[in-house]
Amino acid sequence: MTTYDIIFYLFAAVTLLSAFFVVTNRNIVHSAFYLLFTFFGVAGIYVMLGADFVAIVQLIVYVGGILILLLFGVMLTNKITNIEIKTDSINALPASIVLGLFTGALGAAVLNTNWKVVESPAPEATTTALGNLLINEYALIFELLGIVLLIAMIGAASMARK
Amino acid sequence: MTYFLKFWQGLGTILIGMKVTFRHLFIPAVTIQYPSVKPELPERERNRLYVNMDDCIGCLQCARACPVDCIEIETVKSIPGEDLGKTSNGKKKALWVTKFDIDIAKCCYCQLCVFPCPTECIYMTDVYEFSEYERENLIFDFVTLTPDERQEKKKNYEEFLIKKEAEKAEAARKKAEEAAQKKPENNKEEDKLNDKDDKPKEQE
Amino acid sequence: MIYDWLFRLTGSETAAAIIQSLLPLFLFILPFALFAVLLERKVSAHMQDRLGPMRVGYHGILQTVADIIKLVQKEDIVAKDNDRLFFDLSPVIVFTGSYAAFAVIPFSGIFLGSNIDLGLIYIVAVTGLVVAGILMGGWASNNKYSLLGAMRAAAQIISYEIPTLLIILVVIMVSGTLNLYTLSEWQTSYFWNWLILGGPVFGIEKLLFIPLMMMSALIIFTSTLAEVNRTPFDIPEAESELVSGYHTEYSGMKFAMFFLAEYANMFAVAAIVSALFFGGFQSPFGYLGDLFNLPWLIPIEQFFWFTVKGIFFVFVQMWLRWTLPRFRVDQLMTFCWKYLIPFAFVILIIVGLITVLV
Ligand code: SF4
Ligand code: SF4
Repeated sequence: MTTYDIIFYLFAAVTLLSAFFVVTNRNIVHSAFYLLFTFFGVAGIYVMLGADFVAIVQLIVYVGGILILLLFGVMLTNKITNIEIKTDSINALPASIVLGLFTGALGAAVLNTNWKVVESPAPEATTTALGNLLINEYALIFELLGIVLLIAMIGAASMARK
Repeated sequence: MTYFLKFWQGLGTILIGMKVTFRHLFIPAVTIQYPSVKPELPERERNRLYVNMDDCIGCLQCARACPVDCIEIETVKSIPGEDLGKTSNGKKKALWVTKFDIDIAKCCYCQLCVFPCPTECIYMTDVYEFSEYERENLIFDFVTLTPDERQEKKKNYEEFLIKKEAEKAEAARKKAEEAAQKKPENNKEEDKLNDKDDKPKEQE
Repeated sequence: MIYDWLFRLTGSETAAAIIQSLLPLFLFILPFALFAVLLERKVSAHMQDRLGPMRVGYHGILQTVADIIKLVQKEDIVAKDNDRLFFDLSPVIVFTGSYAAFAVIPFSGIFLGSNIDLGLIYIVAVTGLVVAGILMGGWASNNKYSLLGAMRAAAQIISYEIPTLLIILVVIMVSGTLNLYTLSEWQTSYFWNWLILGGPVFGIEKLLFIPLMMMSALIIFTSTLAEVNRTPFDIPEAESELVSGYHTEYSGMKFAMFFLAEYANMFAVAAIVSALFFGGFQSPFGYLGDLFNLPWLIPIEQFFWFTVKGIFFVFVQMWLRWTLPRFRVDQLMTFCWKYLIPFAFVILIIVGLITVLV
């Protein structure tokens, strides 16, 4: 077991454990905080896979943006409004049946696939390549995505003004 | 247009402010390094009181003047034959001061006790560092007599009183005897005067 | 590079990496924090015509050491209704976030933690950790002042990240790199080649760049100042209204960690500004090592210049602190959204046009 393996298992454990807590915790703010570790672990795994840009963007978007937004929402609504936020489990039986089936299917797929094993190449910086692809090859899609996001933003702003 | 104007004004005023603060960086500090460098006190400063017991005649003027009653004085009359000396301005002392406590913790530094003193023996010093851990330690005792001496003076006076009583009784008996014979007037008046002087002292 | 040398010394990649990642903490952040706290107190004192700490050591130079010893001894108070786990975790996360930023800051030509291509964006990313940590601390304290402070801090940091990112984009467009080391190398060791003076390009382009870059430097300095919650942007810990914001409930070493993180952040921000616009670790006028042909001198000189620039910007932060009063929340947001962001956008567009056309 090399150092890299240890680091990978560390990140994997962090991700899985915190994800487990996110789901099982009864306090919704706690869940939101545990989500931080999940995102962080996932970013770590991205780095291990050589996707440094994706990892950083994961941190910026999820930790710096979405998580904070989530926390704001949860904190501001949790105690101020007197509405109980449900964190109980409901419909346990049907859910566990579906979950069992799904897990079984996934497990079977993983076990039965003939995985191709290749020597992993040394991770290289992906930023330049990604940038070139985005601006040259997929410029149109990139711009379109930008416009879609802009429209969403304008829509949100106009809804908030009403 | 006002938008840009505001921006430039903001920038400019920030720079002006920074200039001011930067100038102050080099202005010598006004801080006085207190325990090592002491500030010069103004004339007529009011700090801890001091009583020069050599001059105190035990007249209680200061204790009466004090608005917070923080001066406590007890005096004992001297007996004839004891020489208490004179004050520096020539008054003759007649009372032993057996208790002269100033509770500085209560003192409000109003200086009202200083002016009535006929011998100018209670006055403000320049001592202002006298913090203590116990409040009792702030009661300053100015009496120069030792505790034994105080007891002695009290005893002396009491003995003197007893003696005098005895003498008086003797005198009264004699007088009665004499009165039975001649009826002299002078002695009686003297006795009355003595009584008047004694009564307030015993109350204190 | 230090890493290679450590690798040869210890013979193990892991050991070398661990030692290298600890170096900035013990060789730089801790001494710097000690120094900066003293500097802060001295600067503030002298700006107000006072003397500041004078007792411990000559002119109080050992004051912060004494303070640290005091902080270590302090009782760690945890209130009954604090959320124990997150209350304990929050200072660690905040400190991790601000310490992680040091991984990509080039201290000198031979020392930088990780020479990754994403340096600048990475710093922005780990700042997110600080925000989360602050929110966590504020919420776990179970104190309304803490919570308000944390909310304000998060809102402020997120808003001011936008102008920061826009200016970083400007720098990327001009220099073509996100790597802080390459960026510093690119702005050679002569001050007229620094980005604030147009960068190492010549002709009309340089002339056009100078005012734009000065504006950009101003904007990024302001917005990063807001990101580290310093006056005039200190509404998250406004003493007069919120006690001291998100770390009101903290005491002892946990408070010390917040404190250390704040000063580490101050330096990180100063280092970013100097790396982006003021040549990073480069000397303003060549190297003595080059002049006398002593190659070993150059890294030391670079470290010296890096520290000097960093401390200068930290000094400017303190200087501003004692010059300007605190913003109101609405002014804060107005300043960001109505002034900094439009200006940054305009600069972005103009610089884009210049780089394409000229
Ligand atoms: S200064 Fe004022 S309060 Fe103090 S002992 Fe004299 S009369 Fe009393
Ligand atoms: S007024 Fe002066 S002389 Fe009289 S009791 Fe006070 S200190 Fe003594």
